[in-house]
Amino acid sequence: MRRRGLWLDLLAAAVFVGLLAALPGILRGAYGQASVSYLALGIRAVGLAVLALSWDLVARTGQLSLAHAAFYGAGAYAAAVLLKLTGAPLWLGIPVAGVVAGVLALGLGAATLRLYGIYFAIATLAFAEVLKTVVKSLPFAISGGSVGTNLPPLFRPVFVAGEMERWEVAYLRNQGYFHVYLGLLAVAIVVSLLIQRSRLRQAFTAVRTNEFVAGVMGVNPARAKLVAFVISSVIVGMLGAIEAHRFGSVNPDATFSVHTTVLALVTPIFGGLYTTVGPILAALVLSGVEETLKRTLSDGYLVAYGVVLVVSILFMPRGLVGLFRGLTRRGRERARADAPRADALGGRDA
Amino acid sequence: MKKLLAVLLAAVVGLGLAQEQVTIGILSPLTGGAAGTGLAQRAGFELALAEINAAGGVLGQPLRIIIEDDRADPATSVAAFEKLMTEDGVEFIAGGFASGATLALVESFRTFQPIVSWIGGASSGIGNDDFEGIEELLGEEEWFFHVHPWDYQNVEATFGFIEDLGVGSVALLHEDGAFGTPGAAGLEAGVEQMGIPVVLREAFTSTLTGGTGDFRATLSKVGAANPDMLYWIGYDSDAQPLSSQLKELGVAPAYVFGAPPGWPTGIEAAPEMECVMGLIGYLPNLPNPEAVAFANAYREMHGAYPDNYMAALAYAQLWSYADAINAAGTTDQAAVIEKLQTMTFRSPMGDWSFKPSVIAKHQGFGSDMWLVFQFQNGVREIVWPADRATAPLAACR
Amino acid sequence: MDLTLLPQALVSGVLASGLYALVAVGLALAIGVIGIVNFAHGEFFMIGAFLAYQLFVSFGFDPLLSILFVAPVLFVIGAALYASTIRFVLKAPELNQMLLTFGIGIILQNLALMVWGGDPRSIGGVPYRAIGIQLGDVSVGLVPLGSFAISVLLVGGLYLMLARTPVGRAMRAVAQNRIGAGLVGLEVNRVYLVAFGLSALLAGIGGVMIAVIQSPTPTVGLAYTLKAFAIVVLAGLGNIRGIVTAAIVVALAESLVATLVPNGDALRNAVFFALILGTLVYRSWRKT
Repeated sequence: MRRRGLWLDLLAAAVFVGLLAALPGILRGAYGQASVSYLALGIRAVGLAVLALSWDLVARTGQLSLAHAAFYGAGAYAAAVLLKLTGAPLWLGIPVAGVVAGVLALGLGAATLRLYGIYFAIATLAFAEVLKTVVKSLPFAISGGSVGTNLPPLFRPVFVAGEMERWEVAYLRNQGYFHVYLGLLAVAIVVSLLIQRSRLRQAFTAVRTNEFVAGVMGVNPARAKLVAFVISSVIVGMLGAIEAHRFGSVNPDATFSVHTTVLALVTPIFGGLYTTVGPILAALVLSGVEETLKRTLSDGYLVAYGVVLVVSILFMPRGLVGLFRGLTRRGRERARADAPRADALGGRDA
Repeated sequence: MKKLLAVLLAAVVGLGLAQEQVTIGILSPLTGGAAGTGLAQRAGFELALAEINAAGGVLGQPLRIIIEDDRADPATSVAAFEKLMTEDGVEFIAGGFASGATLALVESFRTFQPIVSWIGGASSGIGNDDFEGIEELLGEEEWFFHVHPWDYQNVEATFGFIEDLGVGSVALLHEDGAFGTPGAAGLEAGVEQMGIPVVLREAFTSTLTGGTGDFRATLSKVGAANPDMLYWIGYDSDAQPLSSQLKELGVAPAYVFGAPPGWPTGIEAAPEMECVMGLIGYLPNLPNPEAVAFANAYREMHGAYPDNYMAALAYAQLWSYADAINAAGTTDQAAVIEKLQTMTFRSPMGDWSFKPSVIAKHQGFGSDMWLVFQFQNGVREIVWPADRATAPLAACR
Repeated sequence: MDLTLLPQALVSGVLASGLYALVAVGLALAIGVIGIVNFAHGEFFMIGAFLAYQLFVSFGFDPLLSILFVAPVLFVIGAALYASTIRFVLKAPELNQMLLTFGIGIILQNLALMVWGGDPRSIGGVPYRAIGIQLGDVSVGLVPLGSFAISVLLVGGLYLMLARTPVGRAMRAVAQNRIGAGLVGLEVNRVYLVAFGLSALLAGIGGVMIAVIQSPTPTVGLAYTLKAFAIVVLAGLGNIRGIVTAAIVVALAESLVATLVPNGDALRNAVFFALILGTLVYRSWRKT
């Protein structure tokens, strides 16, 4: 039964990713050169989806991580330093970034196993701040110190005069990045679905709801939490590396910006926590809302964006997914089972 | 009949050409931490636009600008630039500020190759083997015009002043990020080349990058090193705490010199700023008629005098585009580039043109844009260079 | 390493804890009593700072005088935010509260950007700002001394209020047990309204001090908020008195490293957060 559910989920995911993969071509056919601009927005939205879904994986074990910027930055720097020092092949930086972020997460996760709620949150935030300074203090020859260093682009399509228009070069580049981002999102989706349809889901939920009961049920809470933390960090580390290539440089203050962490946390809440669909849907919707507001309001579009967030959380406490689930009875039941507890942070006196 | 038709056709086509409205696409950080710069730029663009259009516009039509908020953020900058190119179809780009965002734009600039007149992105990369900067990456491009001085030019500006001043020793404080660190390295090398010892060089956490504005520890080190001159490179909001805590600790170098990108609004009224010197790109009391005219027109439009020299740079940048395109009589890229390369433009900072710098083919303002001012009785008096000075340097110890 | 600077480092460090305690105390109230992790807390600092600036520019008010105006205004803003939004998410998951307060933070920050622009604003004439009392080799700054005194006063006052007054007892009661307190007839909502208003009020006073020390921008709150969160957690949730101790420990560590290590000021935040991380991890493993 569960097996069948997994296959159905994977099929749905394949259709979703397949449709997105065809998006560049569709946009190009429909809008011509404007597809370049739309794809740039699409890349941002898919990147946000990866960020959000990877953060949600940790949240499923009841841990509120504020270290996402650290693993994002660690991945970006791992790729940058690897290429700078060794002349390794261009694409090798991305898996290495995942490994480096994963190892760091294993260390931090093991050290903070006994921290809950806001104590865990602040410990992870502190880790991110410390790591930023450590990277800043590295010798110039390794990481470029406080100035940072450059990375080559993953795609550099060549312009052939007479045979193509200039925008087509930009289209090819954006199409390439869009597919790489989408590939990473596909990985995140598959991981998320496998977790949701395996014993790990029960383990995660049990750990989140009551760690002691989880222990009685035969779940190893420490292992469940570490697995989630490491997987999540590997994914966001690779995202950091890909973005660093796309942006052409890394710099401690920008690459380790706490803003990354905040986005990673806000998006899944908006979409619906502990689901695969929620964070992705939220990333697409929020990106769209923000860009629409930016284009229609000259001043204060972020005020309107803030109002959207406030109003939506007041009227859809279970996020976008909760809104849809409310439409069906089965959905309502599932939503109840999945609902985050009021004291997800472990209460005030933890 | 055929002849008449041909004439009519030519007239229609000619009319069509004459009606071609020129649009300039602008990237500027209007929200987020760098919004001060972006909003100042926008105010300067708006003033220039009003004046240009009152004077007949560009190619006989009102000039149009589209300002996109880039948030000084790489992803937003790329999306905004590609929107300007492919949705709005602009052929000229202006604005620009953050170096990190500029680096992210390099690939896309190279793809589209519009004329890019770029204010910011001062990270030249020259002198740093571990980092390729904007001048190294874009400087040789025919279509790239850089308006703001490069980082090494910012530093060079003060060498002459320090030499004229004849200081005995310098203590150097700098914010620990991508702005202050290379600046301090360049300054240290230059000052020591003059034979002036740098007795202390310390990095600090700026209030802009996560600091809470307590500089007492570092300033007490300055007191122990007892330099003739304290020179600091930080951000605008560091100026107040650095200056007041220096006084509070009783650390009193003969000269205190600050080199932030700008100065906080209203800081001149603070008594502890008295005698502090600083580097600035534009002041309303510059002794050239354009400076005064700009200040008054700006005040008329925005209700206050321009506080941030980025407004003056943006104003100068948009005017240079209008003048060059009008002189070319066409929007043809090669013709406009030729005019941008050869013309001399007027600006609140005096006459300027694009000249070669170390690598770049087209560098606008150089080290001579910078002025040294001194807070004297609540006013920023220009004290150096001598030909633009509004008051002599006050000796304060 | 220059040990002659040690006395100054110790004095500066202890005094610097005043500002830290000041920014942390309001947040402690929000987290401790209402149990809400307020991401918009930094915006209360920012509003307090800008109001102090505006009162100075428009009426020439000294910041100390401005506190009398800023504090009630912030109380009203806090209470209004509670009544209009926050009270609806009290029973929702805490993550929802975070999204809500993050949204409020974006709104406030960008409204400030529209009103005051993005350039830093400086309160010009503050007669006591650049003055230090010289005691031998050591200078005691009036501003850090004043903010230390104010923070001790506020923390002490808050502690006494929680311990001795009916409204304080009510706050502690609801902090311990929301449902039970409701049953014994306390109007939980009104208690929360007052507590959240007070939290904003305290942040507003912190904001005024920030405006005295540096030049506020719409984003000035973030750095102080991150540190305030960390101090509250280091002190232990609900431990109001512990805030002063925690603030002294971290501020002293920062000051010592910044003074004794070359380029130490650049390590300030790393020292601060390494201390927090180390303490939290150490405590968690020692407990059992």
